[in-house]
Amino acid sequence: MTPVTTTLALLLLPLASAAVIALFLRRRHNLAAALSVLAAAGIAALAACLIFGAENRGQTITGSLEWLTLGPLTLKLGFLVDDLAKLMLSVVAFVGFLIHVFSLGYMHDDAAKARFFGGLSVFMFSMLGIVLADNLFMIFIFWELVGFSSYLLINHYNQKQSAADASKKAFIVNRVGDFGFLLGIIWCWWQFKTVNLAELTALRWQGGTAISTALPLLLFCGAVGKSAQFPLQVWLPDAMEGPTPVSALIHAATMVAAGIYMLCRINFLMTVDAVQAIMWIGVATAAYAALCAVVQRDIKKVLAYSTLSQLGYMVAAFGLGQLVWLEWPQADTPHQLWFWGAAAAMFHLTTHAFFKALLFLGSGSVIAGCHHEQDIFKMGGLWKKMPVTFWTFTIGVAAIVGLPFLSGFFSKDAILYLAFLNNKAVFGILTATAVLTAFYMVRMWKITFFGEARSHESEHAHETGLTMTLPLIVLAILSVVGGYSGIFSKIAGSFAEAVPEAHGSAHTGMLLLSCGILLLGGGVAWVFYKTEATDSLAAKSPAAFGLLVKLQELFDRLYGYYVAKVQQRFALVLDFFDFIFVAGVPRFTAQITSWFGSGARLLHVGSLHGYVYWFLFGAALCWAIATGLL
Amino acid sequence: MTISLNAFLIVAGLLFAIGFFGVLLRYNTLVLYMCLELMLNATTLALVAFSRFNGTPDGNTFVFFIITVAAAEVAVGLAIIVQLYRRRGTVQVDELTALKD
Repeated sequence: MTPVTTTLALLLLPLASAAVIALFLRRRHNLAAALSVLAAAGIAALAACLIFGAENRGQTITGSLEWLTLGPLTLKLGFLVDDLAKLMLSVVAFVGFLIHVFSLGYMHDDAAKARFFGGLSVFMFSMLGIVLADNLFMIFIFWELVGFSSYLLINHYNQKQSAADASKKAFIVNRVGDFGFLLGIIWCWWQFKTVNLAELTALRWQGGTAISTALPLLLFCGAVGKSAQFPLQVWLPDAMEGPTPVSALIHAATMVAAGIYMLCRINFLMTVDAVQAIMWIGVATAAYAALCAVVQRDIKKVLAYSTLSQLGYMVAAFGLGQLVWLEWPQADTPHQLWFWGAAAAMFHLTTHAFFKALLFLGSGSVIAGCHHEQDIFKMGGLWKKMPVTFWTFTIGVAAIVGLPFLSGFFSKDAILYLAFLNNKAVFGILTATAVLTAFYMVRMWKITFFGEARSHESEHAHETGLTMTLPLIVLAILSVVGGYSGIFSKIAGSFAEAVPEAHGSAHTGMLLLSCGILLLGGGVAWVFYKTEATDSLAAKSPAAFGLLVKLQELFDRLYGYYVAKVQQRFALVLDFFDFIFVAGVPRFTAQITSWFGSGARLLHVGSLHGYVYWFLFGAALCWAIATGLL
Repeated sequence: MTISLNAFLIVAGLLFAIGFFGVLLRYNTLVLYMCLELMLNATTLALVAFSRFNGTPDGNTFVFFIITVAAAEVAVGLAIIVQLYRRRGTVQVDELTALKD
């Protein structure tokens, strides 16, 4: 197989699986599950071919075909598989496969298993489309498709009102961001007459093309929606209504990271002001979400806010590194493909995908083991009952808080080091966020696994089956080793070389800083929180607790007020005008036609009374003609 | 005491209206038939009244013809309705829609 056919097969495999499930296997639940997992395994195998295959190493695979021609606008579908795409592909394919396997166990008794696995296949197809796409329009098409599959899967428990609401919220909030993204793409086409990424890069390096700051910011809107950045972060915590494997796959490891991936794809379009704004949005998201995570009771909500916070890190890293390059453009040759920011962001994205998928799947295992109890204050004492889950989860926690020599340590330190070099304010906030991360993760970890069982469900908790523990173990191993340059450069190619790394005394400094963060945040949480059925913070300082809860609810309230009080009223006014003036005229003309129609129909339906009316009409007509009225 | 022409005409008009709306609104063929007869009688009443107030015999002459024709018509019409009932088992017009197909 040539690389292009491999890539094509990779993309079409999950689509075929989804189509077969949707058309033939909707009632054959186990068959559908097997097919979807096999497709995921196929994706992983083909992706391994592309990434590790000797003939593809360091090669960029391209290929495209024309899809639509609308006047001067030609839309193409094509592949651009470079080192960046390969890195993202490895995350989507391997983590995706492990989550498929986990789903076999987690969704074992589900009544709508076929729909679930069909949805997973649709998602894999859409996500791979984003990863492989070579132009912005194609990215946008698949961008919408991942939004759709996310909607489908959040709404999996569709008999629950909260799940239905959450799926709608996710979809609508994403539309807001996507509108900006679409405007950005149109602008891009209008200015450069192309949306192909390779052609855009070439145009940019030729120089002489001034870029307005609004262009990258509009494109960034798409990432704000999809990666749930400030101020569109509200949908992600609600999206936890979906089944836990979905949260792991879509709302932690892959789809929400697509925004960062897209930013890295268009990094050559950035301007200094835009990058500043992007950096600060990332920093704000990271800090805000970390504060919210401290007061959550639901194990998945803690992880959701933590995901938000880590996504903020990635966006901030992208902004920071890009800034370095933009402010000293002569320092880097234009031919150097990857820059510090993109590399640091993608590095953290990869390790985050490993450990956050691990944490989510671990929480899924906990939830399944505790008979679908999600409140951490009703758990406790699980470490003895669920040893595999406990140890793998512990590795995940250690990785996310940046325990030295685990994957999270390397990637987070790369970002902190970047911040330290460039912007001390950002460095301060990100360090504080890291302390908070350690704080809330240790809080959750301690309350969930230690102490006494605090409810009937957790007393009867049991370790989950092999299909669930095996992915946990594999992900735990990846979370440990994923950060080592030996492993990372295998999948990331030239990309790994651009990851900022501290050397010498700076290296020691970062190591000490990391330990300090860990000891401070984790230590305080370990001492402060008691394994009781109530939140220690709420008990000891209700004011601080209430403030954080208010902070968390602030945006939902704000948007709720805006939608209900402002937008809805405005929409009603518009609807009234629409009813009277816009729709009113065609509706009235249609009504006239309809009257003629019903009159003519009376001639043929065999109703005596209809004939009488027609007779009457005829008599009136005759009379009118006879009297000269007509 | 004399009754004015208008009084006769109003009664005739009312009779005609009752017959007319009966035809429009009722479904039973027999009732429809009676309503048709009612309209016919309304016109005869009007004609007789005109004849009386004009002092000419034209109206009365018409009325004799009308009565004769109506008698023949009723004989044929009722026979048709009876046959209809025997064949189709109903005399409701909304069920007699064979022309539709």
